[in-house]
Amino acid sequence: MSPLPSVLIAEDDPISSRILEKNLRSWGYETTVARNGNQAWETLRGPTTRLALLDWMMPGAEGPELCRRIRALNKPGYTYIILLTSRDSVQDIIDGLEAGADDFMTKPVNFAELRARLQTGGRIIALEDKLLDSQKRLFELATRDSLTGIWNRATILRFLSDEMAHCRRGGDYSLSTILIDVDYFKKINDTHGHLVGDKVLSKVTSCLEKHIRPYDKVGRYGGDEFLIVLPNCSLYHVAVVAERLRTAVEKLKIRVEGGVLNLSLSLGCASSECFRRAAGERMIKESDRALYKAKQEGRNRVGLCSELKGPKDNRKEKKKGARRVIESK
Amino acid sequence: MSSNPSESSPLNRAEALERVGGDEAFLEELLSIYQEEFAEKSPALAEALANQDAKSVREIGHYIKGASANLSLPGLQAASFDIEKAGADGRLEDAKAAYQTLLSEYDRLKKHLAG
Repeated sequence: MSPLPSVLIAEDDPISSRILEKNLRSWGYETTVARNGNQAWETLRGPTTRLALLDWMMPGAEGPELCRRIRALNKPGYTYIILLTSRDSVQDIIDGLEAGADDFMTKPVNFAELRARLQTGGRIIALEDKLLDSQKRLFELATRDSLTGIWNRATILRFLSDEMAHCRRGGDYSLSTILIDVDYFKKINDTHGHLVGDKVLSKVTSCLEKHIRPYDKVGRYGGDEFLIVLPNCSLYHVAVVAERLRTAVEKLKIRVEGGVLNLSLSLGCASSECFRRAAGERMIKESDRALYKAKQEGRNRVGLCSELKGPKDNRKEKKKGARRVIESK
Repeated sequence: MSSNPSESSPLNRAEALERVGGDEAFLEELLSIYQEEFAEKSPALAEALANQDAKSVREIGHYIKGASANLSLPGLQAASFDIEKAGADGRLEDAKAAYQTLLSEYDRLKKHLAG
């Protein structure tokens, strides 16, 4: 059974507040006491309070006002509120519930009833937690690749599209992509079996994740293809990153029956600074073209996209700089 | 165990004890808090009556009513409720009369507790 939620008792009358506190503690609840509306608000707006007993009349802010504020705040994790009051007209009850209270009890409260009502609140909070947890798991299932745990194809493409929108806002901002292929992956699968193939993909994934910047995104684009989206990254810098990845994977050793498997990658880089009008599809196409070139030239290497926008001299310089990175290996 | 309270007892001890889980010492502590609060609120109420401040009369009456109800003090609860209602309606003469009842009920409680 999950632990009981912590309860805020907001009550200016010290006697009422002490009696509530004593009873709630004897039922196993943790309690926080506030003696006026402002103190209560400080606790309510925090993330830990999910269950609250609010007195209607309090100095500072009254119970219904606090209900309105907490509903307007829309903080993550629902706060279940029981309003306590000596008012008991139908209109008072309606006003309290319309302000955002979940329940309403007349003072002095009957403690057996309060205990049952707190349990109702606890059930609603537990249900919400369960729902949020399921949502989180569904989100993971819908966005992650089940084998490697990195973003799946649809999600990495959405990141690319979002980043392209940022990029099109202009300025010096450039975005780069790297499309990666594990060299001879089909042969690895055919020779050593799919379990070894899976292990290779997992190892390569960890290695890629370790060597990119924290704000770069890596996703599984296809069987043995990975796509990395690098925000705020020029052609020169993507060449640096790609070369780092190539070298790191080259050093990986995978134990297989009867020996050790050496791995290598072919990588194709594109940067938005290469094109006058960059779009997500264009970036993928150019990365793919660069990857194809890297494979044609013998694999275990980095290919760069071929076009560059801007004045000729500048274009040459940019390309030369990036090329120096991959040729100095 | 305490004896059964009579109809006229200023404190319904059995009911109050039930509310605090039968904890006698805790009830005594609450009764002493009540007396401290009363000692503070009573002069404030007298002042509000003297100043014809109906809003404060209603608020203080409401406060004492709540505390009295929590400790099962029926006479004090009834008198303070009369004060609250009279304050809300602006009937300050009625509030003054109810305040006298409140003070005598409070005396009765003190004697009861001392006895």
